[in-house]
Amino acid sequence: MTLKLGRRSFADDATLMMAIVNRTPDSFYDKGATWAEDKAFERVAQVVAEGAEIVDIGGIKAAPGAFIDEDEEKDRVVGFVARVRAAYPDLVISVDTWRAPVGRAACEAGADILNDAWGGADPELVDVAAEYDAAIICTHTGGVTPRTRPYRIEYDDVVASAIADTTAYARRAIAAGVDPSSVVIDPAHDFGKNTFHSLELTRRLDEMVATGFPVLVSLSNKDFVGETLDLPVGERLTGTLAATAISALAGARIYRVHEVVETRQVVDMVNTIAGRRRPQRAIRGLA
Amino acid sequence: MRVAIVPGVPALRPEYASIEDPVPELRAAVAEATRWLGSGRLVVANGSAKRTEKAPGYFDDRAAAFDGALGAALRAGDLSGLDLSLAGELWADVAGLTELAGVRASEVQVDYDDAPYGVQYWVVRWQCTP
Repeated sequence: MTLKLGRRSFADDATLMMAIVNRTPDSFYDKGATWAEDKAFERVAQVVAEGAEIVDIGGIKAAPGAFIDEDEEKDRVVGFVARVRAAYPDLVISVDTWRAPVGRAACEAGADILNDAWGGADPELVDVAAEYDAAIICTHTGGVTPRTRPYRIEYDDVVASAIADTTAYARRAIAAGVDPSSVVIDPAHDFGKNTFHSLELTRRLDEMVATGFPVLVSLSNKDFVGETLDLPVGERLTGTLAATAISALAGARIYRVHEVVETRQVVDMVNTIAGRRRPQRAIRGLA
Repeated sequence: MRVAIVPGVPALRPEYASIEDPVPELRAAVAEATRWLGSGRLVVANGSAKRTEKAPGYFDDRAAAFDGALGAALRAGDLSGLDLSLAGELWADVAGLTELAGVRASEVQVDYDDAPYGVQYWVVRWQCTP
C-alpha cells in the first residue's frame, strides 16, 4: 500500500529516513546542541542534504525532567515547523508530541506527521491527525505515563502486547478518520521496556511487519544498545546499525535516526541483499 | 536484408538491472537498432575485453589494433579477409560474425562505438543487398 505522509506519498517498497531534530536543551544524545533555533535549522539543512525524507521535530525530551507545559512546547515547536515548511516545501515534517493541542498547532504550521511517542496518552491526537489529513505514528509503551522510565514492567509476551496495542491504536485512528495509508506503527524500543524487551522486539520485528501496517523503528543510540554492549551515549552507533540491519531484514519501513548517512547505507545494503532493492550501479562481471 | 550487430552485454538484461543504468547510451543504441532491424538478422558480437588495466581481462597491448581492424571492417560492411585468430586470447566475442561470411553491406550506420568498461562495443546497422 502506498504510504501517504501528509503532502508526500511513497511507494510500498520505499524505506525512509526520519532524522531527529531536537528543540530541547536536554535530550540524551545531543544534549542541547540544537536548542538554539538557528542550530536546529542548520541540523535540518544537514539532514536534508544527507538524504533524509522526514524530519522529526520534538520539543520535549522523552526522559523525565523539568515540566514543559503546552504553551512552552508550542513555543519550541510550532514556529520552527513553520520556518522549516517555508524553507523546504516538499520535506515531510513530523512532530514528536503526545498533546493534541500541540499537534493541531503544528499541523496548522505545516506538519505532515504526528509522532505520538507515548502511545495515545492524549486520545484526541487522532482527531487532529484526521482533521488535517496528517499521518500518525502509533507507538507501544505498555500504557505508561509520558516521560516516565520503565520500572519492573513485565509482559507475558512483549511482541504480542506491542502488536495488540499498536494495531488497536491504528484502528482507533482509522475509525477517527485518519487515512488508512497514513497510519504507521512503532514498537517503541526502550519505552515501557527493559533491554530484554527491546531486544526481543528487534528479534521478532517480522511479526509486527506481518500486521500489514508500515513499521517505524526508533533505535538510534538507545539504552538497549548501550546496555547490550556496555557503551555510553556517543559510542553506540555500531550497535545501533546492527539493530538497524536486523530491522531492515524484517521489513521496517521508517528509521528514526540521529545518523542519516550510515543508516541509509545499512538499510539499502540489507534490502538489496534481501532482494527488495536493486544495486545502485552494477557492472562487475557484466560488461 | 537488414543486419544489426550488437554486443552481448549482460548488464543489458533485465535481471541484472541496477537503479542507475551503467550502460544507458549502449542500451538506447541497441534498442533503436533492434527496432530498425525488425525481422532481420541480429548478430551478437563485441571486441576485446582486454583494452585497459581495469578491463575484465586486464590490459593486452594487442587489443587496440585488433579492435581497430574489426571496427574498420564493420564500418566497411565487409568482414572478408579479417584475421580474427587472436579473438580468443583477447576475450573478443566474434563467434556470431561467422554468420556474416559472404555478406556485404551496401549501407552502414554505426550507432555506438565505445569501450566504457574496457570492452569494445559496437552497435552497427547493415543494409545488405541480397
